[in-house]
Parts: sequence; C-alpha cells; structure tokens
Amino acid sequence: MPESPQSFSSFRRFKFAAAVIIVVSVKTLFGSAAHSQQPDAKQDAAEAAARGKKQFAESCGFCHGPDATGARGPDLVRSALVAHDVKGELIGEIVKNGRPDKGMPAMPATDDQIADIAAFLHARAKEALESSGVPAAYPVEKLLTGNFEKGKAFFEGAGGCKNCHSPAGDLAGIAKKYSSIELEAHMLYPDFPPPTATVTLRTGEKISGVVSHLDDFVVSIRVGDKSGWNRAFARDSVKVELNDPAAAHRDLLPKLTQDDMHNLYAYISTLK
Amino acid sequence: MISRSAIRKALYALTFFFCVLTFTSRASAQGLDPAALLKPPTDAWPTYNGDYSGRRFSTLDQINAANVNSLTLAWIFRTPTHTLKSTPLVVNGTMYFTSPDHVWAIDAKFGRQIWHYQRKSEGDHIGNRGVAMYKDWLYFESPDAHLICLNAKDGTVRWDVVLADAKLGYFATMAPLVVKNHIIAGVSGDVTDVPGFLLAIDPDTGAVQWRWNTEPKPGEPGSETWPKDSDAISHGGGMTWMTGTYDPNLNLLYWGTGNPNPVLAGEGRPGDNLFTCTIVALDADTGKLVWHFQPSPHDVHDWDAVQTPVLFDAEFKGKPRKLLAQASRNGFYFLLDRTSGEHLATAAFIEQTWASGIDAKGRPIAKPSANPAPDGTLVEPGSDGSTNWMAPSFDPQTNLFYVNARRLFSVYYNTVTTKAEGWGGRDRILWANSTIRALDFKTGKVVWNHEIGEGESIAGILTTAGHLLFTADTSHNLLALDPTTGKTLWHLNVGGPLLASPMTYMLDGRQFLIIPISDTLYAFALPEKPGN
Repeated sequence: MPESPQSFSSFRRFKFAAAVIIVVSVKTLFGSAAHSQQPDAKQDAAEAAARGKKQFAESCGFCHGPDATGARGPDLVRSALVAHDVKGELIGEIVKNGRPDKGMPAMPATDDQIADIAAFLHARAKEALESSGVPAAYPVEKLLTGNFEKGKAFFEGAGGCKNCHSPAGDLAGIAKKYSSIELEAHMLYPDFPPPTATVTLRTGEKISGVVSHLDDFVVSIRVGDKSGWNRAFARDSVKVELNDPAAAHRDLLPKLTQDDMHNLYAYISTLK
Repeated sequence: MISRSAIRKALYALTFFFCVLTFTSRASAQGLDPAALLKPPTDAWPTYNGDYSGRRFSTLDQINAANVNSLTLAWIFRTPTHTLKSTPLVVNGTMYFTSPDHVWAIDAKFGRQIWHYQRKSEGDHIGNRGVAMYKDWLYFESPDAHLICLNAKDGTVRWDVVLADAKLGYFATMAPLVVKNHIIAGVSGDVTDVPGFLLAIDPDTGAVQWRWNTEPKPGEPGSETWPKDSDAISHGGGMTWMTGTYDPNLNLLYWGTGNPNPVLAGEGRPGDNLFTCTIVALDADTGKLVWHFQPSPHDVHDWDAVQTPVLFDAEFKGKPRKLLAQASRNGFYFLLDRTSGEHLATAAFIEQTWASGIDAKGRPIAKPSANPAPDGTLVEPGSDGSTNWMAPSFDPQTNLFYVNARRLFSVYYNTVTTKAEGWGGRDRILWANSTIRALDFKTGKVVWNHEIGEGESIAGILTTAGHLLFTADTSHNLLALDPTTGKTLWHLNVGGPLLASPMTYMLDGRQFLIIPISDTLYAFALPEKPGN
C-alpha cells in the first residue's frame, strides 16, 4: 500500500502546528464499522466463528489447514470466493457439492454448520485485514527479549536517561500506566509538555512562557504558564530562546541500537 | 497630425481585436488532442504532472521572484468538505479536479462551477489524484476500482468499466495518463495480498489494450526472485498507484510499483520480489517490460517505489544523457539512464538507519537487523517513508531536484503467529519532522535544506521559470522559496494544510497559481491593473 498515512493518534508529541495529514485509514473504517454493530450481533458472530473454527478444523482443516491458510488445498483467507460470499451462500454450494474437477469431495453439512464455517472464514479474512495494526493487548512477553542489567546500566550511563529521569521520581509506576506497546513508544518518545520560551522584544523587554505556536514567521506564547494570556510576535521582530524538552529524545533516537532499545525496555518494564 | 487620444483609441481597438482572437481560438478548441501532450501550451495543464516529464516545472514567469510579494487572491472554490489531493487539469479554460467519488469542472479564470459529478462507491476513500483527458473525454478512477469515462462538457457518463475486483481489496486513487490512444490506469491495494498490474485502456470503448502484471508468471524473468512451491508470487502486491511518466521519443512509459505483500512480514517470500518496489520501463504500445531497476529489493517496510520517475536530459560525466531520477520512499535518490536503465547514482537524501551500503547494481543493502520483529525494531524512516506520493520537481534553471523529505522514526512490529497474510504487523510512529530539500541531480547530495516543521507534510512542489519554488510548511503557511538557495521569498497563512501539489497556467495574459488547501482551491495571481 500502502498509501495510507498512519493515524496521528500515535503522535503524542506536542505539535507546534496542527496535524498535517487528514486520515481515514482502513483501520479506522473497519474500526467504526465494528463499533456500529449491535453488541449482541457482534457476540453472535464471534460465537458462530468459534463454532465454525472447530467445525472447519475437523471437516476442512486436513486440506485447507486448520487456520484456513492452505495446505494441500488453497488458502481460503485470500480466496476470491470467500471475499464475495455473503452469509455462506457461495461457501455452502462448494461445501455441499464439492469441486470434483479440483479433487475436493462434497462434505455433508447442515445449514447451521455451513453458516458457522462461513462466519469463521469471514472472521479469518477480517483478521488479515486488521493485521495492519498492532493489537492493543500485545503480549508484553514478546517485547521482553532484552537484558535487564544492561538496560539499567544504559539508563544510568551511556543513555543519559538519568540526567532527566529517575525510577523513584517521574518514572515511578510508569510500567503500570501504559500497556506493552504504549510503554515502549513512551519510553522512546514520551508525551512532552509544550516547549517554553523567552522572547526578547526590540525594546529589550523579555517575556517568558509556554509556546502555543511556533513557525518561521510567528511565535506565540502563553505568558508565565499555560493559563496565561496569549501574546504573538513576528519572528523577525523578536529574539526567541527555546527550551524544548523533546530535544534529548530526538538526539537519542538515531543513536539507539536494537539491543539498547530491548535492554532498556527490560529495565523500564519493571518500574511498576 | 494624429492626436494622442486617437493613438490610444487605436491601441485599445487593436487590444480588443487580439483579445477577441484569443478568446475565439480558445472557445473554438474542441477537447484535447493527445498530440498536444507532447508540448503542452502554457494555457493548459493537461496531465497530472503538467507534462510527460514529471518535472513539475512551468515555463511561466509572470509571477516571479521580483513580484511574488504582491501575489493576491484571484478566486476561491470550496468543495463540501472533501480533502483535495488531486492536481487539477486545465484545458481550454476549464479546470477539472477530483476527490474520491467526485469530479468538478469549473471555469479556470473565474472559479465558477460548470458541473459536478458524483458517484457513491465502496472501497478505500483515502484520496483521488485527478483525471486524465483525451479529446472531449475525461477518465476518472473510483474507490471501487472502476474507470469511468465522462463527457468533459457536461460530466455525463459515457462508460464505466471495472479495473479490479473491489471485493478482493483493490481500490483506485490515481490520475490515469493518456499516451497516444491509450489510457494508462493503475490500481491500489492495501491490506489484502492481491497482485498489482497496469492496464492500457481504449479511450473510446473502455476495452483493455494491454495488461502488465507486477508479478511475472512462473518461469518468466523475475520469477526466480520469489519462492517456488508457494502461492507467494500470486499474492505478492506491487500496486501501481501513482501516475507515471513517458518519453515520446523512446516510446517508453516509466512507472513505479508499490511494496510486496504481506507488507511487513517477508519470511514467506524470500528473494528480491520483482517487480515490486521497482521502476519499470514499458513499451507504451504493448506493455512489454524493457528494463527495470529496483530501489527496495525484498521490501519489508512498506516503502513503495511509486514516487514520480522524473525525466530530464542533461550532461552526466561529460556525456549528454536521457535521465530518470527518483527520490524514493526508502530515503534514497536514484539516477538512471532512461534509455537503458543503466544505474548512474544512488545517495541517501536524508538520514536513514536501515541500509548498510549500496550494492553493485546501485541498490541499498538492507540490514537484517532492520527487519520488523516481534519485539519491535527501531527504524528510520517509518512506513510512511522519507518521502511519499507528494510531487517532487526538477528545475532546469538550477539543475536541482527538489523533494519533500522527512525524518521519521518508527518501531516496526512483526505480529505474525501463523502464516503471514495482509500486513503481518505495523509500525508505531514516534516522531516526524519535514523538510524541503534541493539535491544535486548528478550525485543526490543535499545542496540546501529548508525546515518546514514537525509532523509529516504531504505538500507537493512546483518550480517555475519565475525563479520560484512553491510548497507549504506544516503550520499552514504557503511558501514561495528561492530555488537556488531555499530562502523564503513569500509566505501566507492559509489556515489549512496543503495535501496536494500546486500547479499553474496562463489564461488571457494572467498567470494563475492553484493551491488546494484541505477542501478548498485557492487561485492566486498578480493584481489586475485597474480597468482590466
């Protein structure tokens, strides 16, 4: 594809400007379709798919693989016929009549069994469609391939993490706050507060506060703190000294090896 | 003795006469002769990229570096909240542009609607990049992967043919390309493992003239880059979702193909996976492959090589060459001889962490450690790429190649637990920052860098003979940059993002600059002199 830009929901960084990409990702579309279903209907479909899975493994799995990804027979997750099927109408014909020309025998099955098998196959196709996202409940065990001791040493030494962070301070309980993948993303690039700045006017007056907008032409700040009044200046009329809390992480990202990342995660994930 | 007022009257009369002539010649023109595409007039922008070369360089210079500060609004055309990713066509004073399911025809001088076509459809509505025009007909690709022929005069449907089966996950977004009597139409796909292809369609009947398949048939050249005894090659992806370029003298069509499938999980498809992530040169009349170059062999990061293959002629190492350049989504610039496909240069145009070097064929060598993994792999760039579909530009006045390039860090997860199908994982974006860069076309070295802000910009680039480069930053500012230095010459806060590429044309002596911002077209021009 894949031409779809990712959703900016994964962007947690304070942004100087509004997000520049407007996205209706496939994931979002499928997500909203799923949400629009009635909970009962969704549960019924899930139960039918679960029954169908068992039925499929028993009756069809020998040739098509228990997960329908193909063995002696073709992969049915990618099947054009399954893609066109509605509620087992096409799938049922094949099950009942077989495909003698391709060596598939007819299989005795009731209408209910066929409906369940169809529900299973459609659920498998949907899984493939939804494989363009990392599950929110991704098992943390999969991420724990690093070395705790090395991660701790990196935190306290080469990584420079302890210059700004402490396990007993700002990071206390951090591993409880986020799920597996979220923790990894926040470890690498946290949700930063907006930058602060001191703006020096031509008169020499200095105004400090929280940056609310910054581009090549305009700087706006909330004077004092984020609850202060907003003031905006043309960049060419003032001097701006920016304090960007994200700078250290941006510098670190290109330097991290895969091992550094995994080791650091092994350490950070213990901060519960 | 003739009085001054008499001379003035005579001049007015002459001016009026020529104006009438101009109007008459334009009004009487019928449609778009495909022969005109060989050397487009300045009052038209008749293809997605303006011409076959894909340079997005306009010879117009009425708006130029000396007067760009007086640029003003000529008109605004608002659509009902459709994100505009299309580059409008302008032919015979009419502008045609699109969004998914929609085509508009408006007057290119005044911005008034002539007609609006709508067709509701299934399929991915991520974007539509525009129409193609042949004689009196427009060609439009729909989200459910149909090609629809419309009457350019009134927007009525002449025919509607299916390019690909939307139920299988195909969709369509690209602006087709007219080459002689062929409508060249590509397709999109995303999460399903469907094979890519490119079609040439008869402009009158909608019949397929030729079909080029991204994946070779078993036994054909390229098939050795896929595993044997597996269905991988028939589910290998490689969509043809961006408009290519064309050299009329060589009669070669240049097209970039998308990533292989499954997208991030490559273990089931060992090999280079030709002709995915590849620049191909095809005979325009037969669709036969003449040469190919693969920017990303065995891609596992979603780095389509569909970015415009830009064509220009220049001297390279003391020899005049017909060249093709691409700044690819994987972060590398490639320079090829477009006659033979001979590789001439490869260089990273921005920081990247996935390649360890360049191989003998000029292709980046992927580090195995950069493959998506169950425990995550930190890679620059993320799957959205160091650049993407937004238009690059080549300016023959500066000999520089311009690209919207970004820093982008992601952690890639391979989430496969059974046979990989679909994406097989995803990357999680951490941080992005966008730039406009000028590259030395011979080496790919960065000559200047202009920061345009945090986030992923998808603003395209236009250069003009007026010594201007038009684009936008990520803070909703339109920018006119000096193409030699990258310095800002003009800017305007337009209150929304540029999600397409700017274009320009001259009508009745006035140069218009068209910038789509979110759902609205803005037409800029120099102020009209009083009395005009």
